[in-house]
Parts: sequence; structure tokens; C-alpha cells
Amino acid sequence: MYKSAVKQTLHAATLDNGIVLLGEDLPGVESVAIAFHTPAGAIHDAQLFGGRAATAADSPPTVRCGLATLSGEMMLRGAGDRSGRRIVEDLENAGVQWAQAVSTSHSSFSGAMVARQLPTALPIYADILRRPLLPEDQLETARQMVLQNLAGTEDDPAHRAISALKQMHYPSPWGRPAEGLSVDVSQITLEEIRRFVATLVKPQATIIAAAGRLDWDDLVARIERLFGDWQPGPIPDVVTGPRGPRFQHVPHESQQTHIALAWSVPAYRFDASYEATAALSVLGGGSSSRLFTEVRERRGLCYSVSAGYQTQRDFAAAVCYSGTTAERAQETLDVMLAEIRRLPGSITEEELMRVKARAKSGLVMQQESSAARAGGIGRQWYHLGRVRTLAEELERLDRLSVASVERWLADHPPEDLSIVSLGREPLEVPRDLSP
Amino acid sequence: MTFLHERLGNGLEIIAERSPAALSTSIGFFVKTGSRDESEDLWGTSHFLEHMIFKGTTTLSSEEINRRFDAMGASANAFTSEEDTCYYATVLPEQQDDAVGLLSQMMRPALREEDFETEKKVILEEIRMYDDQPPFGADDRCRATFFAGHPLARSVLGTVDSIQALPVESMRGYYRRRYCPGNIVLAASGAVDFERLVRTARERCGDWEPLDLPRRTVPFRRGCDLRDTVDRIERPAATLSYAVRMSPAPPGDDEDRFAAKLLAIILGDDSGSRLYWSLVDSGEAEQASLHHHDFLDAGIFTLQLSCDPEDAGNLLERLPELLDMRGRRAITPSELDQARNKLAGRIVLSGERPRRRLFTVGLEWTHNGDHRSVADDLAIVERLGLDDLDRVLARWPLEAGGCTVLAGP
Repeated sequence: MYKSAVKQTLHAATLDNGIVLLGEDLPGVESVAIAFHTPAGAIHDAQLFGGRAATAADSPPTVRCGLATLSGEMMLRGAGDRSGRRIVEDLENAGVQWAQAVSTSHSSFSGAMVARQLPTALPIYADILRRPLLPEDQLETARQMVLQNLAGTEDDPAHRAISALKQMHYPSPWGRPAEGLSVDVSQITLEEIRRFVATLVKPQATIIAAAGRLDWDDLVARIERLFGDWQPGPIPDVVTGPRGPRFQHVPHESQQTHIALAWSVPAYRFDASYEATAALSVLGGGSSSRLFTEVRERRGLCYSVSAGYQTQRDFAAAVCYSGTTAERAQETLDVMLAEIRRLPGSITEEELMRVKARAKSGLVMQQESSAARAGGIGRQWYHLGRVRTLAEELERLDRLSVASVERWLADHPPEDLSIVSLGREPLEVPRDLSP
Repeated sequence: MTFLHERLGNGLEIIAERSPAALSTSIGFFVKTGSRDESEDLWGTSHFLEHMIFKGTTTLSSEEINRRFDAMGASANAFTSEEDTCYYATVLPEQQDDAVGLLSQMMRPALREEDFETEKKVILEEIRMYDDQPPFGADDRCRATFFAGHPLARSVLGTVDSIQALPVESMRGYYRRRYCPGNIVLAASGAVDFERLVRTARERCGDWEPLDLPRRTVPFRRGCDLRDTVDRIERPAATLSYAVRMSPAPPGDDEDRFAAKLLAIILGDDSGSRLYWSLVDSGEAEQASLHHHDFLDAGIFTLQLSCDPEDAGNLLERLPELLDMRGRRAITPSELDQARNKLAGRIVLSGERPRRRLFTVGLEWTHNGDHRSVADDLAIVERLGLDDLDRVLARWPLEAGGCTVLAGP
């Protein structure tokens, strides 16, 4: 019944300089969304040596956590003939809902708009990516803006707990907080930003993904014209380092204690990620999931509790979270751990059927949103080097069985957990989970 | 897009906006009740009741409800505001009957005491969760001052004390009065089969007993005695200071509410607005925004500001100048154009998601008994001019004064 729901038309083209352009036609929408993902993500947040990564001969590079974020902000503050203000005004006059975001792996600029505005929007993005002015007189205000955002996240305890968890769990630099650290952001120089942008905002690892009411041939021609003569250059390698400690308590004066825990699962590019995602969905995906039922519905221990799958290129994590009153935090952690331990050997047919139904209807509903699809095909290309068709994804979901999920769980039981508590008092972590 | 309407004998209204291209169907029961319909001793009941609706009926457990929604691949949830409580699910079209059937069953809950006591703990956790996030306290306190003496002053969630003191029998009485069929609208958007929607509703809801329609509480009419106040809340653990300022604005039944929303975009949208360029782009504030919010009979402009605690006093002193949009600081034609283009883009994009349309269409009907298509909304935006904005500024002068609450260390 799902297969007939959507006729899918996907496009892909590679420019001579390495830019990958992806497209998906969505029948029945008036809008188009486009995202430009450059490789200037937070994994590169370190001083570069003359435009290259450090080698053994160099003294250790100084990490500048927040360099990608501040650079992304500076790129918006003037490009080509446009001032920072003009960039925003030109985008908004075209009715573009624009966004700029830095993740672990990418610095991305995106926009969603009524389809006829795309020809107006494309040259603005070309200016931002290819001709950023990185003006000196904007550095201090851009820095203040980034510092303000960092201060704001200090007042969001759930965000802090998850961020601390990622820093511990992923091997460096993959867990680095993309938004930065104030102590580093205060010290970043204009020279570092200019070198970072010149080295990392490059065509050969850039993905441009568009979805919605597309004229594909016209889009290819425009992208060729705007980006075709952009010269490629080497992107520094990322050296993966050690992981952090397994347990951490972050003292914080709050009524609730926030609990975040993680363990390793296969990255998205591995086929077994389907089994891993299904197991996590049984654990904490929907309102009939085990964590929601046991922690919230039966015991009333919390308002929010969940488990989910998060992936980087080479690493992925199962991440569970709950926030609860300090006095009940230990019980909450104990129940969460008991459910995690109980998972292998206990998955039922009904549970898996619900997981599949949720995943499938989610896939179909994504086809209604140009922004969701532009994001989706871009992510798939980064992880897989290709775009999976909807039919292929539905077929793979169909092949999930209790046996396949259980086989995967038996080989990869949740172990070696990273655990963060944030609140007034530390929690007791059972010895058998200790490293 | 087609709009359809039907009313059952017991008063339940059914509406639908059908979009031929949609791949999903959104269904929602909109109950005309919220925190403003509570008395002091029922403070927080509407929202608590919203949670209890998911705890099951005499024949259906809460776990069964959760399992059934997940089994149909539904994205289901609910929200409670000052004036509305809405239960909704988005599903693929072939699940329409199941989704309507399950939501209909839920609307006749058991309200068991045992579930009530367990869920009370969840509500208390929700209150504490927001308590740990400084902006929320400022928002509630500001509304309490602005609407002092009126039910709109009370927060939707209630307080730890009001929730702990609430007996299950009071909730049951509130439910009986407020959830009668004449006070409920069943709305649908997207790929809707309207005939089947009406048929399912007739089967499932046709026997709901009609009762006298409950009255909404006293209308809110603010005089011209607006106090220009600044209150402070101590939040020793906060990193930033959070200011919320509310001032009068066009209510939900005033034609000027559309111009008010455009005005809020020009002055205080999250990007590209006057407050954005003055305070956010310059790094002086983490956030500085203005939104227009309308109730049935009241409206507010809400200004939100977060900044370094040391700068808060200075920024608040500069507000009258920043909010002045007349004379030398009059709105320019290019500002108007930019705001209209932004708003039009938003209307088109949000119109493509059945879930977003459900809320827009459902709330417009429950509040005003009106339906406007995406094209109708675009036409309104197209017609708005500088004279409309000037009129709003003359009737509801932003810089004239407001209630401000500052929360921070």
C-alpha cells in the first residue's frame, strides 16, 4: 500500500570540480527547498597550518572549539557585492525561509521558498559560499552573537546533558560541541577564520540538495554557471583520537536531574543500522515503547523519556534521555538500565510491526515536505555516496524480522555505556556497567 | 482545496479541508476549553485532563491506545492552551477510519482515580521541567500581571500546589461540563474522505449526549489604565537574563489582527527585523523578538529579550526608542514589502503540510466559525498597506507602556 503512494523522481549530477548536485521532484507542492552542505564542520575546529591539517612534524594544533560556527556566522556578514544586511534582505524579499547551521561534519546554508524564487536565491548562496568577505569590522559583533548563543544553551539543562554525553562518548573530534566553547570562541582570530574558510569551504566535498517543484535541467545549468569554475583544493584529513571518560556528573542547581546515556551502534552506512534503529525504536521510539511505558506511563517518573539513533560518518550512538525530580532520578536511571539490559532476547512480533508501521508512514509523509526531502537526500549522499529510493527503503524495512533484530542484538548487546547526570546530586551507577 | 462542513444532531461539528495532492490525513478533535475556563480551584485542570484522555476508557487501557496509534504509524499528540484543547493524529489516508475511531473513543475517558494519581506525578514533572528553564517563569508572571483579575492571568500548566490539591471528582465535573458534543469540532485536513469521516463520526460520536453549551468565562476588556510595570524574578542559577514585556494588541475578533502580525514581523521577527538588526546581529542580545498573540477577546504584543545580566537594565531603558515606529522611525515601503514577502512564503510553505493546516483551519473555525484557504490568506497579505500598519500603531501604541518581567541572576 505504501509503494503506490508515491511516484519518485530522483536526480544526481557531479560537476567537474566535484560538487554533487541532487534533486527530487515532489508532485503537488508549490515550494522548493535547497541546502548547500560544505565540509567546514566542527570536526575541523582546530588551527590549520598554512591551510593544511597538522602533521607529526608540527607542534600539536590548538583546538578552537567554535571556529566552524563563528566562520559560518562570518560568511553571512558580507559576500560578493552584498553586505551582511543585504544578504538577509535579498533572501527575505524573495520570501526565502533561510537557515545557517554548523554540525559536526558540515557547515550548511539552506532555504525554502516558492519555486519561482529559486533563480533569485541561487546567486545569493553562490556569493556566500564563494565570495565571503569575512569583514574585519564584523568580527567582534559576530563573536558576541556566538557567545550569546552559548550562554543561552547554559540555561537549557537537557541540551547541556546531551552535549556532555556526546563529548564523552564519541572519539575526538566527533563529539565536539558544534556550537563551540566560550573560552575558545573568545580567542579565535580573523586570520584563523580566513584560513578555515579558504581551506574547508571547497567544492569537491560540497553537496547541494534540492527538492520540491523542480526544473532539473534548469537547475543544473544554473548551478554550472554559478559554481562550475570554483577551484577545488585538498581538504585536510581528520585524525580521530581517543574517547572521553565513561561517567560524568555535572553539578547544576535545578529541580530536575537530567540523565543521558549512550552506547555504540553501527553507523548509518552499515546495513545493520536498520536492525539497530529498529531495536532502539522498540526501546524508546513511540508512545508504546518500553521506556515510555515503564518510566512514564506505569511509574509517572518523568515527563520526557526517549531513546534514539544518532549517526556520524564512521560512528553512531544509541542515545537515551530523561529528566526527572532529583529524588526520583536514581529510580529513573535504574528502570532505564533495566529496560536496556532486558532488550536482547525479548523483542516481540507486535513491537516490530509497530516499529515498521511508524518508519514507513514517516517515510511517506516526508514526501510532503520539500525541506525534509532536501535534507534527507543530502544526508544520504554524505553517508552512502548515493540516494536510496523510497521503494528500496520500504523493501529493506520489510526485510526486518524479529530474528534479524535479535541476531544483531545477540552479537551487539548494549554495553560499555557512557552516562551523564546533570543536577544537584550524582547518581549511583551499577558496578557491572563500569569500565 | 475544498472546504466541507457538517453538523450532527447532538451538535458536534465536522469540518474538512481537502487537498488533492496531500499524501497524509490529519484528524483532530478541537475542544473549546482551556485554562481561561477554569476557576481558581480548577487551576491546571484542562491540561491535566488532556493527559488523562490518553489514560483510556472503561474498555481501553492507556497502553492499548499507545499501541494502536503506533501500529497505524500515526504521529499523534495533543496540546492545551488558554482557550483550546486539541487531540490530533496524522496518518496515511488508509488509516483515516482507525484514527477517527480511536480518537473518538478517547474523547469518552474513564478518568480512573488510580491513573489520575500516577499522571499527577507526570504533570508535576512537567511543571518542574519548565521551572528549570528561566524564560518560562518570566512569561507566566508577565501574563499574570497583564491579565490581573481575569482567568487569562492563570498559567496553562497550573502550579505544584494547585495540581496537588486537585481532587479527581473536580476534574470529572469539569469534563462533563466542557466535553459535550456542541462544544467540540472534529476537523480534518489533507487527503480526507469526507463522506467516510462523517459516517465514522456518526457511528462513534452520534450517541454522545447533548448538553447545554457551557459558557466561556467573562470577556476580557482592558481599559486605558495600563500600568507600565517592571517586576523581577530572582533566578540565581541562570546564565542570561530574560525579559518578557506584554502590551495590548488587536484581539482575535478584530480585523486589524492581520496587520498586527505583519507589524510584529517588521519590528521583531527572528531574523531581518528591526530588533534583530539592532540587538541580535550586533551581539547585544541573545534573542530579541516580538510576536502578536490573539485570544478570542484580547490581544497582546509579546516582546522577548534575553541578554547578559549586566546589559538588561540598559536594554530595557532603550525599549521605548526601539519600539517607536512613527515619525522619524516610520515604517518604510521596502520594510513593508520584505515583511509581506516573508509572510506570503510562510503561508505557502506551511500550507503544504496537512498537520500545519489542521491547526490553522481547526482553530480558525472554533474561534471565528470561519474558513480561509491559503489563497484567501495570501490575498489578505497582498492588500495590507502602510495605512493599515499606521492604524494599528495608533490604536495600540507599542511604546506607550507595558508589563515587563525580568528573570535572571
